[in-house]
Order: sequence, then C-alpha cells, then structure tokens
Amino acid sequence: MENKSVVVQMPSSPNNEGRSLIQNNKKWTSIFNRNSEWRGKIWIYGSAIFVILSVIAITLFLTVQGLRSFVVDHINVIDFITGTEWYPDRAENPSYGALPFIFGSLMVTILAAMLAAPFAIGSALFMTELAPKWGQKVLQPVIEILVGIPSVVYGFIGLSVIVPFMRDHVGGSGFSLLSGALVVGVMILPTITSISADAVRAVSNDLRSASYALGATKWQTIYRVVLPAAKSTLITAIVLGMARAFGEALAVQMVIGNARNLPNAISDPSATLTTIITLSMGHSTAGSVLNDVLWSLGLILLIISYGFILLIRFISRRGQVS
Amino acid sequence: MNQVYIKQNVEESHQNMKKASPVLEVKDLNIYYGDHHAVKHINMPIEEKSITALIGPSGCGKSTFLRTINRMNDLIHGARSEGEILYGGINLLTSKVDVVQLRKEIGMVFQRPNPFPKSIYENLVLSLKFSGIRDKKKLKDIAEDCLRKAALWDEVKDRLDKSALSLSGGQQQRLCIARALALKPKVLLLDEPSSALDPVSSSKIEELLLKLKEEYTIVIVTHNMQQAARIADKTAFFYQGELVEYGDTSQMFSHPAEKRTEDYISGRFG
Repeated sequence: MENKSVVVQMPSSPNNEGRSLIQNNKKWTSIFNRNSEWRGKIWIYGSAIFVILSVIAITLFLTVQGLRSFVVDHINVIDFITGTEWYPDRAENPSYGALPFIFGSLMVTILAAMLAAPFAIGSALFMTELAPKWGQKVLQPVIEILVGIPSVVYGFIGLSVIVPFMRDHVGGSGFSLLSGALVVGVMILPTITSISADAVRAVSNDLRSASYALGATKWQTIYRVVLPAAKSTLITAIVLGMARAFGEALAVQMVIGNARNLPNAISDPSATLTTIITLSMGHSTAGSVLNDVLWSLGLILLIISYGFILLIRFISRRGQVS
Repeated sequence: MNQVYIKQNVEESHQNMKKASPVLEVKDLNIYYGDHHAVKHINMPIEEKSITALIGPSGCGKSTFLRTINRMNDLIHGARSEGEILYGGINLLTSKVDVVQLRKEIGMVFQRPNPFPKSIYENLVLSLKFSGIRDKKKLKDIAEDCLRKAALWDEVKDRLDKSALSLSGGQQQRLCIARALALKPKVLLLDEPSSALDPVSSSKIEELLLKLKEEYTIVIVTHNMQQAARIADKTAFFYQGELVEYGDTSQMFSHPAEKRTEDYISGRFG
C-alpha cells in the first residue's frame, strides 16, 4: 500500500492548513459553526434526556406525594385499595376507600373499549379493504375531526343527548357508567381506527393473493387471513385506546353521575379515579389528608397506566416472534 | 347459481376431454391495463396432464396471461380482458363464471413463497375451511395427502403445529404447492415458483412438478430457460405481449421456427 494515495488532499480548500481532511480535527469551539456535528448532537441528545428526566421526575413526585397518605397520615394501604366507603371530609371517623373509583375507572375503560373496538376495526377495514379510495377521502377526515373535538364538547353532547336518552330508555337518572363509557367510547374510536387501519395496511398483499387464489371470498380473506395477520397490532390499538379512556376526566365527569359508592349495575351512577380527583381538587388544601389521598389516587392512575404500556410492549413483542 | 352453471359444464367437459386433450383453449385473448395493451391476440391450447412453460423476457405479458386464467387479474384495478379462455367449453372470462369456484379448480402458486403466518397444518386446511369442510379427520387426511404429494411430509410430519414461517424458503414454497393441492384442482398455475429459491430447493420443486403432472395440468411461468427445457412438455415463447411461438419443448429448443425465439433461447436478448 502506498501511503500517499490514501491521504486525500484538497489543495483548493482554504482552511486546509496543510492538514489532511480525513484527520479528526473536531474542537469544542466547532459548536459555533452552523454545520457543526456537535450542534445537532446536543439538540437531539438534549431532547431525549429532557423527556426521560421529566418522566422520571413526574413519577418520583407523584410517588412521594402519593405515599404521604400512607406514611404521614397512616392510612392502611389495603384499606385504601379495597375499602368501599369514601368519606374523606367527614369530621369524625373519616374513611378512605378508593375501590369504587378504581372499579369505575376500569369499568368505563373496558366498556368503552368493548363498544368502540368493533366499530373502529370495522371502519378500519372499510377504509383499507373495501373502499380504499372513498375511505381515504371521506372516512379519514371524519376520523381526524373526531380527534380534534375537545373533550368538553364530547361531555356536553353526552350531557344533553346521551343522559336524557338513558333516562328515558334505560331508567334511573341517566347519569351512569354506561353513559360515561359511551362518551369515552366515541372519543377513543379514532385512536383505535387509525392504528387498526395502519395494521391492516401493513398486512402483505402476498397473503391476500394467496387467500384469493385458494378460492376465498373477500370476507373469508379478511376474517381468516388479514385480521389474524394483523392481530397483535390490533390488540395494541385497543389497549392504546383503553389507556386513553382510562385517563379521560372531563367528559366522563359530566355524564357519569359522580356517585361515591360501588355501582350495582352499569346503569347506576358511578365515579372514576380521574373524575374524583378533578372534583375534589378544588376544595382541598395542600398538605391536608384529603389532598394526600387525592395524590394517592393519582399514583394508582399512574401505576395502572404503566400497566397498560407494559401490556402493549408485551403484546407487540409476542407479535414479532410468531 | 353460477356454481351450478360451472359444475354442470365441468362434468360435461370431463367427458369431452377424453376425446380432445386440451383442458384450456385460449382464443384471441387480449389483456389491457388501462390503455396499455399487455397481451395481444393469444391463441394456444393447454394440454391435460402435461407441463406447459411460458417463457419470455420481463414484461412480455406471460405472468399477466397466467393470472388471467384464474381471474386473479380481476383484483388489479384497471385490468380487463377480451377474447376467450375455454375451460371445458365455458369461457372463463365472462361475468357468469363464479370466480371463487373457478379458483378452487385452477390453483395458483406465486413467485415469493407466501404461507400464512399460521401453523403448517392451518396453512393446508384453510382453503378447505373456506369451502365449509369441518370434519377433523378428513382435514387431517387431506393435509397429510397434500404434504406427501408435495414431498414435504417427511420433513414436517413432527411439527405440523409449528409456524409455517419457521420453514426454509424452499420448504415454504413446497408448502404453498401442497396448499394449492388441497382443493384437488384440475390445473395448477405457477408464477416463477423457484426464482426466489436456491438451486437445490429449485431442483426439488422441478422434481415435484414432474411427479405432479401425472395428475394435474401444470402451467408454469419461468425466467429460467434451462428449467423450461428440463421439465416442460410444451413451451410458449412470449415477446412484447405476443405469443411468438408455441410447440413441443424439444422442438422449440432445438429447432425454433422463429428468429426471435432463437435469439432469446440462445441468450442474445432478454
């Protein structure tokens, strides 16, 4: 090997100063250079670190605040999670049972997913398999509009349409778990639809051809080939929708009735972790027991949300293996 | 109703077939993609229980022609065909034909192995489930039979419940052939079935096809002229959408009638 031919010399380059360009001459001062590699790195690494740090900070803060009621106020954790009586503001013998809200949150989430998932996957199939052109033109914008509607509007519509409808046709006051689930179900519809549509689009056309060539009808192809092939992403879509439903506060609060006891039926009024936090937050003072238990409810929300994310990770990892 | 229509005629055709051997008779077939005239005035018979190879350079219309036989081109937006492909006396290109039923009688294997992301067993019986067969014993028997015919049984008999994607490319392709056999088709269309495979897997597929032609009529599109020479009884050379030459393989490879055929076979273009 001749050494001379390896070294690239650019004689016309002004800042060459006799040094080879392939030699590393990075200095920290190059940060002031517009095209500096360092600038980009600092920005990108900086954002990543910032995001990670804020998640850690929020988790730590919520944990510390949420544990106060157990450590400082000596509320029994088991009683807190399994108790059904919620009277934090009672002067004598206050009780802090959060079970009705945990139950309410989970029920609203599950019901909403059960109501929304079939419609969402159906419309995803419509826009990808049946009418790709029409679906793209009409259904896609409709779904984007659904995302854009503020949750207070959903709540308001729920309050003025769904609640009276429930009162007339199901009975009771109309404020109920079911009303909450309906409103939230519509809210998570676009999330599930758009992820499902991506999942269905990602299924290879080779599989569809294989299915048609075996004498399958369109529906058989969808039901037996496309949906099973997209299964793990579809489940991820539903779980993501559930995570969103779980965190929704405002719209649910407007239609669920905010009852502090365990509901006997889905047509009974109820409350969720989020609604009880937003309702009680205003009239609690920092450091009071009521404030502390609200933080504890927040901590439970966070833990269950983390559970959803772990579930999504687990599902998508299993999907990759098979 | 369509199903009845095609079935009656197919039965008739079986009686006719004993006299005349072509299973498929292509008459003045034209295929268009929008304005593009992809296949022009094709006339050729496809003989029963033999291998017919379609050769020609890329884009010459041979795959398009193949995909028209079982109406897979219906799925392509803007594709349309004129003329006739007679299958037992029925023109397959009319709207009266039940495409679903047709594809059960004329099976297809694709260029890239495309097993379903399911177990090996599920891959084999899915088409039977499409047809409404639910008897477990029957499904199992057919699955085994197809795997034996596709010379895959010994390799996979202990892992029928494993994912089909765990097989090698060559095995996957043979599984796809086995899968196509499950419906007992009369005709098997293969679109460059071994072009994505290594030489060993490829020669296994060729062996398999030679064995299968005793029972099935096989039409194979291939880029590999040696492959056509080795296995095909009849060869059709396509060029720019036209059928340039059709005849016995040995005849065509030794004494091509057309200059263009000779040039292509001897590797002067294509």
